[in-house]
Amino acid sequence: MERNETAIEVKNITKSFKVYPDKGAQLKERLLFRKRSRFEIRPVLKGISFTVRKGEAVGLIGHNGCGKSTTLKLLTRIMYPDSGEITMNGRVSSLIELGAGFHPDMSGRENIYTNAAIFGLTKKEIDSRLADIIEFSELEEFIDNPVRTYSSGMYMRLAFSVAINVDADILLIDEILAVGDTNFQTKCFNRLRELKASGITIIIVTHDLSTIEKFCDSAIWLNDGVIVREGRSPEVVDAYFDFMNKKRIDSDKAAAEKKAKEEAAPPAEENAPAESSGGIDYSANRFGLRYIEITKARMLDSSGKDSRIFSTGDNISIEIDFRVNKPLEEYIFGFGFYTLEGECLYGNNTQLDRIAVSTDKKEGTIAVDVQDLPLLAGKYTLNVAVVDRDGTPMDFYRNYCGFEVVSDDRSTGYIRVRHNWRITK
Amino acid sequence: MSTLKELYAYRQMIFSLVKKDLRGRYKGSVLGFMWTFINPLLQLIVYTMVFSFILKTNIERYYLYLFVALIPWIFFSSSITVGAASVVAQKDLVKKIYFPRMVIPISYVTSCFVNMLLCFIVVFAVIICTGAGVNAVAVLTLPVIMAVEYLLALGMALLTSAVTVYFRDLEHILGIISMAWMYMTPIMYDKSIVPERLLPVFNLNPMTHVIECYRDVLYNKRVPDLTSLLSAAGLGMLFLFIGFLVFNKLQRHFAEEL
Repeated sequence: MERNETAIEVKNITKSFKVYPDKGAQLKERLLFRKRSRFEIRPVLKGISFTVRKGEAVGLIGHNGCGKSTTLKLLTRIMYPDSGEITMNGRVSSLIELGAGFHPDMSGRENIYTNAAIFGLTKKEIDSRLADIIEFSELEEFIDNPVRTYSSGMYMRLAFSVAINVDADILLIDEILAVGDTNFQTKCFNRLRELKASGITIIIVTHDLSTIEKFCDSAIWLNDGVIVREGRSPEVVDAYFDFMNKKRIDSDKAAAEKKAKEEAAPPAEENAPAESSGGIDYSANRFGLRYIEITKARMLDSSGKDSRIFSTGDNISIEIDFRVNKPLEEYIFGFGFYTLEGECLYGNNTQLDRIAVSTDKKEGTIAVDVQDLPLLAGKYTLNVAVVDRDGTPMDFYRNYCGFEVVSDDRSTGYIRVRHNWRITK
Repeated sequence: MSTLKELYAYRQMIFSLVKKDLRGRYKGSVLGFMWTFINPLLQLIVYTMVFSFILKTNIERYYLYLFVALIPWIFFSSSITVGAASVVAQKDLVKKIYFPRMVIPISYVTSCFVNMLLCFIVVFAVIICTGAGVNAVAVLTLPVIMAVEYLLALGMALLTSAVTVYFRDLEHILGIISMAWMYMTPIMYDKSIVPERLLPVFNLNPMTHVIECYRDVLYNKRVPDLTSLLSAAGLGMLFLFIGFLVFNKLQRHFAEEL
């Protein structure tokens, strides 16, 4: 078949669901509680159109509830659109619900027949594919055992093998590539690539953006039932990624502000300073002699607002409020970034930077500005401390607070390394 | 038309659902599949006892008279009552995967039909053992009668299974409807005792014709009345057509309603 042929054409489809606060499906309830069966109409898709050419792989992305799974269900014809038109050219196989109709008491082999029949295969067609299906599932030894004796991984492997061997022209996949172990996943992906190369059209719904980028030619980003952007997958994925990061920062800030309002006063001081117990418990989250005390620490974003979420490359500041209980000649303030596992990524203090801090005030604030935050996306903890000249802890917070970094840099690890690739030969 | 083509493509699914249903029906019981034969035989014994010793009738070989009508009736009534719940019972499948929805009632009715065919082995065994005898020519028309009844039952099952999705009470209402229907069909009595003014109602009931045909072949040992067979076939087609249309219309929202 021609490559430029249209495989899927979706024209301005809409779909709403009726949401019953309390649905009475029984006659009695319908008669007695007429009011109760009133429903709200919740539009899920508000006019979506797209075209997929034969042999193309398209990813549908969007946050939860944006309508991507509904779109997929409409494409498989589990549901029908309220208005608009969907044209699918060719046999459709959906890897939406794997193992539909599996019967636990029947053997793997029998279940292959039942399951493949649900995809519309005839006995003859199944017979000719049986060997491939069993081989792909790697379940040769177990194929005549009842499916109830299978592990969940084996179950999924069998189900996936059936679905992928249906010889469909269009394959619809919903978030199911978490099948089996890594080897099997790789195998699945290789198989999907083969299928794609052979001219099969594939639609994938997933939250795993890297899958979309690696596998799909183009992507469609849905938000609130409309297409926000569609095009080549790296561009759409980047746009979506940015959007999600911003959204996350906004919602975190909103939550933080709300929390700040609720807790207008700082949390009560931890009591029982360590000096009275005669020693310092270094394993505690906060320890030290408290001759000088950290009363509060803040992380500020580039606009000077208190925040717990930043982007890689932001200019941030850390401010530490302190109170002097027993004056010393010199104080050494420090901060550090740690992983959640407690691994130190970076640590520094005023002594290492050869800055002598002394004060005669009872209270004060010290700030450190961090330019171009080099941390990659992830969750980290901030450690703040003040010690005396000999390094005796005065007030040491192992984990003062957690913070999160979002990033458009998708490198792995913790630290951004500035780099360029070039071909030298 | 495209629906029919698709159903044909999904024939293996129908076949496998029928097999699963027949195999699963007596699963776990000691006698297993034997129940398919034992059940009608025991029913026959009960009816013979009741109608030979308690409720004496003047119909000759009443047990056979009743039996050849009852087995087809049981097929019909279970097709509509239990068939009504068939789509709801398979809701996991309907909500999660696409296939022509008609596959479900079709396979359910077919499995009831196969069950009836197996019961007919018992019917013939009884006919032969009791020396009632058969008319070979008349028996040749039996497949036609069965096919007509199948169409009727399928039409009803399509209708009831689709409506039950939206209105679950129907399943229970149908229990009483099928009982009333049974008494409105000459199964336990002869059509000749029906009062004149009620006859039009009986003639509109497609099952009247179907049952009379069965009885003609197996009890009266004669080729059934052609008008009876034709009116049953006509009504059967009509039922199927209506059931088909209603099901096709209602099935679009199955996934949301279930």
